[in-house]
Amino acid sequence: MVDLGQAQRSLARALGRARAGEDRELAQRVRENGEALAQMLAGLLKMTRVHAADNRAFDAPVAECARALAALVDLVGAVHLVAVDAQAFVNEMRLRAEGRPGIQELGAELRKHNVGGLVFHGALAPAQVRALVAAFARPAAEPAPRTALRERLQAEGLAVVELQGIFRFRTSEDPETGRVDAAGALERAGALAASAAAALAAGHAFHPLPLRRTVALLLEAGPLSPGLWDAWLTGPARGSHAVTVALHALLLGQAAGLPSAVQQDLGVAALVHDVGYASLGGGAALAGPDGLARHPGEGARVLLRQRGFSDSKLRRLRAVLEHHRGQADPRGAPSALGSILRIAEDYTAFERVHGQRVSRADVLGAMARAAGGEYHPALLQLAVNALGAYPPGTLLELADGRRARSAAPVRGRDTFATPLARLCDAATGVPSGDPLDLATGPAVRRALPG
Amino acid sequence: MPNHTAQQAAPVGSITGSPAALAAAAAIQAVARAARSFVLYDAGNEVIRQLLDGWREKSRAALDAHGELPLEVRPFEIVLRGERVYEDQDREKSMAFKLYRDGVRRLTLQPEAGWDELLELLRIVALRYTVVRQQEEDAVTLLRAARLRGVKLVAVEGLSADEERPEPEAAGEELPAGEKPPEGWDTPLPRLPAPAPLAWRPVAPEALEAIRAEETGAGTARGALALARELLEEAVRGRWPRPYAELVQLFAELRDAFLAEGQLAELRALVEVIGRAGVAEVRDQLLSSLGDARTLDLLLDGLPGEAVDLPPDLLALVPLLGLGAAVDRLAAEQGEARRALLLRLVLARLPREADAVLKRLPALEPGLARALAQGLAARAPERALEVARLLLQQRDTALRAEGLEVLAKAPGEVPVAPVAALLQDPAEAIRLKAAEVLGRRGDETAVQALTAALEGPERSPREAEALGLALAEVAPIPASRLFAGWLNPRGRFLVGLTAQQKRLQWAAVAGLAAVPGAEAERQLQALAAGAPDDLRRHCLAALARRRKGAGRG
Repeated sequence: MVDLGQAQRSLARALGRARAGEDRELAQRVRENGEALAQMLAGLLKMTRVHAADNRAFDAPVAECARALAALVDLVGAVHLVAVDAQAFVNEMRLRAEGRPGIQELGAELRKHNVGGLVFHGALAPAQVRALVAAFARPAAEPAPRTALRERLQAEGLAVVELQGIFRFRTSEDPETGRVDAAGALERAGALAASAAAALAAGHAFHPLPLRRTVALLLEAGPLSPGLWDAWLTGPARGSHAVTVALHALLLGQAAGLPSAVQQDLGVAALVHDVGYASLGGGAALAGPDGLARHPGEGARVLLRQRGFSDSKLRRLRAVLEHHRGQADPRGAPSALGSILRIAEDYTAFERVHGQRVSRADVLGAMARAAGGEYHPALLQLAVNALGAYPPGTLLELADGRRARSAAPVRGRDTFATPLARLCDAATGVPSGDPLDLATGPAVRRALPG
Repeated sequence: MPNHTAQQAAPVGSITGSPAALAAAAAIQAVARAARSFVLYDAGNEVIRQLLDGWREKSRAALDAHGELPLEVRPFEIVLRGERVYEDQDREKSMAFKLYRDGVRRLTLQPEAGWDELLELLRIVALRYTVVRQQEEDAVTLLRAARLRGVKLVAVEGLSADEERPEPEAAGEELPAGEKPPEGWDTPLPRLPAPAPLAWRPVAPEALEAIRAEETGAGTARGALALARELLEEAVRGRWPRPYAELVQLFAELRDAFLAEGQLAELRALVEVIGRAGVAEVRDQLLSSLGDARTLDLLLDGLPGEAVDLPPDLLALVPLLGLGAAVDRLAAEQGEARRALLLRLVLARLPREADAVLKRLPALEPGLARALAQGLAARAPERALEVARLLLQQRDTALRAEGLEVLAKAPGEVPVAPVAALLQDPAEAIRLKAAEVLGRRGDETAVQALTAALEGPERSPREAEALGLALAEVAPIPASRLFAGWLNPRGRFLVGLTAQQKRLQWAAVAGLAAVPGAEAERQLQALAAGAPDDLRRHCLAALARRRKGAGRG
């Protein structure tokens, strides 16, 4: 029997909570200024066909373009203006192109120089906008017009403008196979985490949506999936502290059976957990205990700039604030997400600091001994169960003398000590060989540091 | 509440096609209508229930009859296997546009999708209608979080390079120093014991349940309060830049969330968190910014109509009750008990929010203004002069009188000039009160105004008495000299004393009741001996007052 009344009440409640989380004003301002920027820029590029760039006819649109850009920089930090097909986006927000031919034509104007998007790392004075337009007005310099244009912009002192190539939309999954591009998602997570840290350090508000989208995709790929971990092991994301912590945290969140929405919150929190360092300005003064003590609070402070209530925001703030807190801390134990971050953070940090002397397995083993006082005991056991005897990334000496790196989390209790692995170069430890299932392959002689 | 039927919903383009397309179109239109109805109607409206039922029936019918429904989402239309099943060119109304904007490119409804999943899909679409844009989530993140087994999603997840003529990218830019973690970040690491051998061990289900409970349901509210407490401590300890605008904003958001859920206990706990803030300035800033009408309404709704005071467990909420709202409700309230309760609530906010009460005072009906003015003067005596001054500027006689009353009781020196000016007020009650206040609290600088009032236009004997008495009280010696002249004026032949002379004489008699010394008594006796009846009685009354030692009757 369907209870429509109950359905109605639950919908009303969900909508009420969502309304409380809005920041309509900010979104509206970003969209309006984005549309003004795209419209003016497209118009200016088109005008160069009939007027010289120093013509007075440019004065008003140049001023408006500079104004809109300055407003956007103030609101969101670096401004990403991207044109795809007949659509344009500012920082992933689609601009209303209907009835605005300028926005629809922006892509075509940029494409002449093999450009698909512009990143403005700062505001431009009207004279700089004019110089940008004049550079675009020159004939495309074959065979590499974008490279030539970039050089010209740098010569004009416009290094603040970054040129991007031509894009197409990329769907989350291959429509036919439904497979997620795990490597792409990891790479994107790293880039978004870095730009979020930069924006927060510059005093801007936090926009979690792009990060959440990427975390949702990582969850869709599956935190336990060998493909995702293999992409981490063999790709550039392994060098990103934020992504590595996020990946381990998501693994733990999944193992703990957290609801999907909470797992998304955990992933976003993990990607920004150290923004306090960026906001404090880095530098030697923050090395060691002082920075360690101050950055969680500072991180929470800058994340507070995001307006609008949501449970997600609360979970994120608490996790960031408490991510270095032990279970026996006099201020109280951290939240569940904070406890997960603590484990993922310390595990990653130990590996970074002591990885050349201690294997990942020993790091995890030492942390397991500290469960209770430092780490949440149940969560740490979940970490052991999920990461296994040879956590992903562990350098292994195989019984046949070859070396490999563990490449995936535990698949099941019976394969706890026989993970999937990738053969690697004996000298450098870089995984380069074929995947190897150690459940059927050579035995592991020992885990090695490195 | 509008009383429309479910048929009056968003228009869509006309749909024709195969039976599968028609069935899918009916279902899609039903979900679009139901989702949009939350914009038009209160969530509890019967129309919404009808529309929910429509979505349930039509989606079930389409899935049961035609199996999987792969719905391709385009900017303004939705297409099923090449056949258009939904179209709406209105950007504000189009469900397709809202989903497309968020990056949804295909939704495939599976035959096994149950009502719970279909309802969840509706919830997500409804969010996109009613919430313009959230910073936190969109249709894609919500759909992914929902993990609907019966609804498959394909979404745009960013952009990838699509170049016919690839060019090398610019060399990676170095991050500015401020964006890099410092050397040795996240250290020193904790000292750990020697590693334990790693072994798979089961984790107790109840331990996992406890972890999940921390971040969901009631745990969310507990977590919110813990966060509020910790952030406040951190702000004070970490010396965050003041004022704590972002922190105030978060506390306001928490208040709103607790209010929306009717969580008074949590709201009370939030106030307690603020109350424990170590720095008074921080505490005051947070409390003063959190007053809200909805808290008051929620609280009043939960109390019986005859309650004249707050139950002890709700007293903690007083700082959150929204002073302005309480005054508004008080001004409109007819019930005696509720009025008394509201008055107590407002008075409980004094003297902290004296400014806000003062601001509202002139606009209130005299009875309420008087009650609040008395409360203000009693709880914030240092503000009494301001209260009085404000009331004295009002047109309403009762308010001006109340202003004088407050002035009479105000501590410290009373400003004579504004009170003296009221001796010329059109209302006799005010003039009388002004004379009384001047007599009690004035000084010699009031003599001229008092004299001028007596010598001016007509004044009643009662007013003349009050003025005379006030003269004697503020300046007995100069008053005695004046009285001596006024007691025995020289009357005109046949006509006798003028009205003004009689008034001055009357005032002098009243004033002599308060002038010390035998000479005043002798003057009164002498005048009484030869005076007409009314004047004689007036003299005898003054003599009686002197003997009682009280100038005022």
